[in-house]
Amino acid sequence: MSVGRLVPMTLAALAVLSTPVMAQQRAIAFVACPIVRDTSKVPCWISEYRGETYYLGIQSDVSAPFNPPSLGHRALVEGVPQGGDRICGGIVLEPVKVSVMPELSPECDEVLMAEPRYELPFEPPRPPGPSGGRLAFAPPESPPPPEPPFVARTFEIYFPFEGTVDFKTPGALQEVWDYAAAIRAREIRIEGHRAAVRLSDGTLIEEREGIGRSRASEVARMFTGLVASVEKMEFSSSERAELGDWRRRKVSIEVLP
Amino acid sequence: MSGFSPARWVLASSLAVVFAAAGQGLWAQGSVAESVPAHVTDQREQAGDVPAVPSQVPDGGREWWSPGEGRALPRLVEYANPHGRLALLNTEAPVETSGHPFFEPLGPNGRACVSCHQPADGMGLSLQSIRERWEETDGKDPIFAAIDGSNCPSLPQGDRASHSLLLERGLFRIFLPWPPRDPLGEGTLEPEFTIEVVRDPGTCNLDPQYGLASANPMISVYRRPRVVANLPYVVHRNFGVGPFVGKTGEPALRDPANGEPVNMNLMADAREPTLGTQAIEASITHLQLLQGLTPAQVAQIVAFERQLFAAQVTDAIGGNLLLGEGGKAFGPENLAAGEIGVLGNNTTRWVFPVDAAWAEPNPALSAEANARRASIRRGQQLFHFRTFWIRDSMHLNTVGLGNPAKRTCATCHGMHMTGLDTANGWMDIGTTNLPWAREVPRNPWTEERELMPLFKITCRADLPPHPYLGRVFYTQDPGRALISGKCNDVGTIVMQQFRGLAARAPYFSNGSASSLRELIDFYDRRYNVQYSEQEKVDLENFMAAL
Repeated sequence: MSVGRLVPMTLAALAVLSTPVMAQQRAIAFVACPIVRDTSKVPCWISEYRGETYYLGIQSDVSAPFNPPSLGHRALVEGVPQGGDRICGGIVLEPVKVSVMPELSPECDEVLMAEPRYELPFEPPRPPGPSGGRLAFAPPESPPPPEPPFVARTFEIYFPFEGTVDFKTPGALQEVWDYAAAIRAREIRIEGHRAAVRLSDGTLIEEREGIGRSRASEVARMFTGLVASVEKMEFSSSERAELGDWRRRKVSIEVLP
Repeated sequence: MSGFSPARWVLASSLAVVFAAAGQGLWAQGSVAESVPAHVTDQREQAGDVPAVPSQVPDGGREWWSPGEGRALPRLVEYANPHGRLALLNTEAPVETSGHPFFEPLGPNGRACVSCHQPADGMGLSLQSIRERWEETDGKDPIFAAIDGSNCPSLPQGDRASHSLLLERGLFRIFLPWPPRDPLGEGTLEPEFTIEVVRDPGTCNLDPQYGLASANPMISVYRRPRVVANLPYVVHRNFGVGPFVGKTGEPALRDPANGEPVNMNLMADAREPTLGTQAIEASITHLQLLQGLTPAQVAQIVAFERQLFAAQVTDAIGGNLLLGEGGKAFGPENLAAGEIGVLGNNTTRWVFPVDAAWAEPNPALSAEANARRASIRRGQQLFHFRTFWIRDSMHLNTVGLGNPAKRTCATCHGMHMTGLDTANGWMDIGTTNLPWAREVPRNPWTEERELMPLFKITCRADLPPHPYLGRVFYTQDPGRALISGKCNDVGTIVMQQFRGLAARAPYFSNGSASSLRELIDFYDRRYNVQYSEQEKVDLENFMAAL
């Protein structure tokens, strides 16, 4: 399997996930310890659920769409199992969303040594040492600048389960700032949401209370002083745990001309 | 529904002074240059090129710069240190220090900037220099001023025990308000944790006048002075610098003079955005110049600081580091000519470029010298390529690499020519947070007592715990968290540049590594690197050559 093949596969699986019925049929969601498996190149990350091993992804760099989880914590894994060759001994989940659960779980401490049978079947985009002079993944292309008539538009920024603003948030917000600046936005309304997930074993897990407000206030703080035309900025939150997938863990940002 | 208007940058309104203009020496202004014969200009240039005082001392003897001495700082000056010789390049030389605010004792305690940024120590301050000053002045040198050169101003000054943190670890007192002020707005931040003083050997955190329970609540931590050289790298606005902190997404500080975001790599806790604001704070907190510096003085200090480049040029065994091809990592001239604020953790540029050719045996050198150069080169390769598992390090393992991450030294120390982080660089590698921070063991048989304060941190129950340390843990210095109020920032410290290391032991912000070998041993323990003895020797030789 090549990395190049992983990308179209992601898009295809995203389409699957966006079809609710099919997504429910195929997607799995579970909370378990992540496991690191070393290779002769970069480590890969796997997890086990109901006797099966699933491949989550590899270590690359900050530009990667997949960010490995953390030992010392359990992880919420939401993904779609794929057929075909296993990677690192695990069934490939694609697409996959992995969230680090906040509470400490010292029992999650497994590092597996490299074995020839688990070598990566593709060249990782970034070795564990110096790069070839570029980030592993090119940033997404910017959308074309908006053209009149300028209208109110709502953007949605997503977070990991129990996650708030982190190193990826500025990149996700770039399109919002660009739009706000381009239309000389006068008002911005930010609403933070709290979510719940139904795991494959039927368990319901909810994000902590107050996280909707935290998301909204932290995102609002990021807008401070960035768009000179903004005269009014408001934030609010919904603390009702909305059941669904990763698209419920969000902040909605309404940009008004 | 909560709401607020877009805030203005408070710093901008309070500190929006024009730092430009002013600050140029008389020569630069032209008045002196026009009043002397033209040949003096040529003489002056050569005079600046000649290594000055140390060259008159064959053994490279150390020399202390006291405030207000009024001598000239030439273009290039060298000083001996235990690993060889360091050169300080002053690109706009010579600088007449008489009347210069960096060198003059502007405040009442007799200190100047140069007091703690000594040329012989690579514009830092070594423990050796501190101890020598104590002996030479019987503790009267201004560096031992009560404000921060003693463990606490309320202690009997002049008593060695009152200055133990400075004399034993090279640490000055940094006093910061608690709870922290909001750097982006008005008022104070609501901290994400409570802090309790568990141990206070310096006595200042529990002091009724200067401590946490005083009328002006302050937390005292103790830190090493940072290097005033190679600063164009330290304050660069190139790769990785933007409106947000690259590791956390929070808004970055901005330059009050122009509103541009800064990289926040200047101080251990990133509290000051620019060299100018840092100079103003330092003049108040270290020099006790309560009215602060004038804009002209700030401009003069900043201009001077930006023209200094310091690096080792001679290895005690390997000889002249600038000898041969391919040693672009070495010496201040290469630093001054280097590309500023770019990543070097790649095969196209390197953090510290040392080609294989540089380490090829040179028949003009002794076998011992050639062996040392080969060792330095091996150290450079270890720095770039020796992988180990980096684990439980806040703001490294949380930024997309996973925990643990299999990486190298150059992953974090990635900036070309300095080993700084190009992006905002505070991390917790365990130098101040327990269980990794150096602590004197407590038992019935040990009389030695830990010098550092100890704080108990309890992260708020309504927020997630610290991902690696839990909800309750201990630290000797909360680091960035004293500014941000964030639980995850406790113990995070902005890394320092790798330059002039040979001249300014001890290392880490709390001086907990007395030598380069202890520094390497810390990493070896912390990350279970399992360095061989040879690898440790090679790394030490490499770092001492920078």
